[in-house]
Amino acid sequence: MTDKAFSLELAAGQDGVPHLRLSGSVTLAEGSLLWSELHRELQGEDRRGMVELDLSGVERLDGGAAALLHAIARQHGEQGGALRFLGASRDTARLLDLYACTDRSDCERPAPQQPGLLNDVGNFAHDAGQSTRAILAFTGDLVHGLVQAIRRPRSVHLSDLGRLVERAGADGMPIVALINFLVGAVLGLQGAMQLHRFGGDPFLANLVGLSVVREFGPLMTAILVAGRSGAGYAAELGTMTVNEEVDALRTLGQDPQRFLVFPRVLALLLVVPVLTLLADLAGVLGGLVVAVVYLEQPSIVYIQALQRALDFADIGTGLLKCVAFAAATGLVACQRGLSTRGGAAGVGNATTSAVVSVLFTLVVIDAIFTNVFSLLDW
Amino acid sequence: MARVLSVRDVAIGYGDEVLLDELSFDVQRGEVFAILGGSGCGKSTLLRTLIGLQPPLQGRVHFTGIGPPARAMEPPAFGVLFQSSALFGSSTLLQNVMLPLQKWTRLPADAVAAVALARLRILGLERFAHHLPSEVSGGMRKRAGIARALALDPPILFFDEPSAGLDPVTSADLDEVILLLARDLGVTIVLVTHELPSILHVADQCIMLDRAAGGIIARGAPRELAERSADARVQGFFRRQATNARGGHGA
Repeated sequence: MTDKAFSLELAAGQDGVPHLRLSGSVTLAEGSLLWSELHRELQGEDRRGMVELDLSGVERLDGGAAALLHAIARQHGEQGGALRFLGASRDTARLLDLYACTDRSDCERPAPQQPGLLNDVGNFAHDAGQSTRAILAFTGDLVHGLVQAIRRPRSVHLSDLGRLVERAGADGMPIVALINFLVGAVLGLQGAMQLHRFGGDPFLANLVGLSVVREFGPLMTAILVAGRSGAGYAAELGTMTVNEEVDALRTLGQDPQRFLVFPRVLALLLVVPVLTLLADLAGVLGGLVVAVVYLEQPSIVYIQALQRALDFADIGTGLLKCVAFAAATGLVACQRGLSTRGGAAGVGNATTSAVVSVLFTLVVIDAIFTNVFSLLDW
Repeated sequence: MARVLSVRDVAIGYGDEVLLDELSFDVQRGEVFAILGGSGCGKSTLLRTLIGLQPPLQGRVHFTGIGPPARAMEPPAFGVLFQSSALFGSSTLLQNVMLPLQKWTRLPADAVAAVALARLRILGLERFAHHLPSEVSGGMRKRAGIARALALDPPILFFDEPSAGLDPVTSADLDEVILLLARDLGVTIVLVTHELPSILHVADQCIMLDRAAGGIIARGAPRELAERSADARVQGFFRRQATNARGGHGA
């Protein structure tokens, strides 16, 4: 056990007033000991009323310990007692004065009460209204910016386009290929187990090919792009917004839509179809591996079945979807980024919100496209 | 007065690039010590070296009696006010100040809150204890940053450009806070700044850095330097004279 630098003793008091004597070096470093010992001493049956704390033996007192002494005195006062400081040296008294409360409310600042359910509902409705208004304003700005961009194409800031294409496209290729290969393989394995039971092995290519090209390839690619590029755009634009870089753009006469949003959306419109084609290829390759390894099918059989099963319309529907996915990802992520408020936490919220909103939008768009294609019998 | 910080033959820079070389000076207990110099002269880099965030390229920084800086297993030996205040945006001012107390003391929650509130109170922020940093002014954020730096009663406080971005009145208020910390709490303060009124009002001693000279070009009490230094660069600094911008008269 280590020796503590202060001591607290009960001494004989005058007029029956309990007298505690604090001495030595009293610092925040031993604040927990001071807190517990002083509280224990003040719990005594005869110490519920006035108690004197003799500080004449205190050689050193720091600010934290002074704050603790005041807090203990205040708590003792709340229980009907009083703790009076006596005999403090000039330095100790000066520090105690500095940390003393002139107003009781200054010493007690309970956290504001958490809002109730009704308040939450009201806040939610208000936020939803604000969010809708922000989206409408963004859409209005976007349309205006688009008209201006069509009239004056050179006003669109395209110098970043190459970098954006590289980051969203080239850098994303390995993960898109890997994930879609695995999706194709898993889909193939699940399908092969069922088809094999009914002698339907030759139809594996149909199952994997159509599922991947029409559905999983575009959707999985869009989800990966949302996670990589969408989140990145929201965080980047969010940081620019809280750092007032977006305001600076406006004061320079630059339209944030044309300077920041269009290049990002354009980059996604360029790269997502390419990534989707790569995803389609990787997915059917995953199915091929299952066909060869699990069903012991010659690869040529799988490839020929694939050629029969797929036509350009299947690939085209996937590409149509992915273009819509790209536009939605870029626009929603940029809108969330540009509507960021607050500091680092605001950027985090904007990024989370962007990813969730983009994923929700992707699924809605996918459902709409699938319904339309089925109505048109594509 | 006893020496609390000694810097010996320190060189600072990035990679192979040496910004400043052969820096040697002492800081005495209880004094306000200012590190002066123009923008980009390496003041903040020197501060980062003093607080252990960036190792010196050579030389030694020694704190007397309070151990080396930034040892992860012990409470920090000093407090730092960063230029941006560096308060955690998702926490209230009170929570920001409570953070080091929760980490480094074994006080119960109500005692931690009491000490943290007391720190805010001496800096005039008790009414804003439950506000987020984004809900208070820049000057209040600076003061909250000081309250957090002060939380564990460190013997030394380092301030990086405390007046940056503040209006003259708020800046003067902050000077009074610095004097309160030094005079009433006995804290040693190392201050990086180029705010002349602040330097002349609060600093006991100073060194002046110069990038072109690659080191310290003057040292002493600021008022003495301002009045007696024969060095044109020092005079230029204190009299706010243009020196080399667009080929103006050089130092």
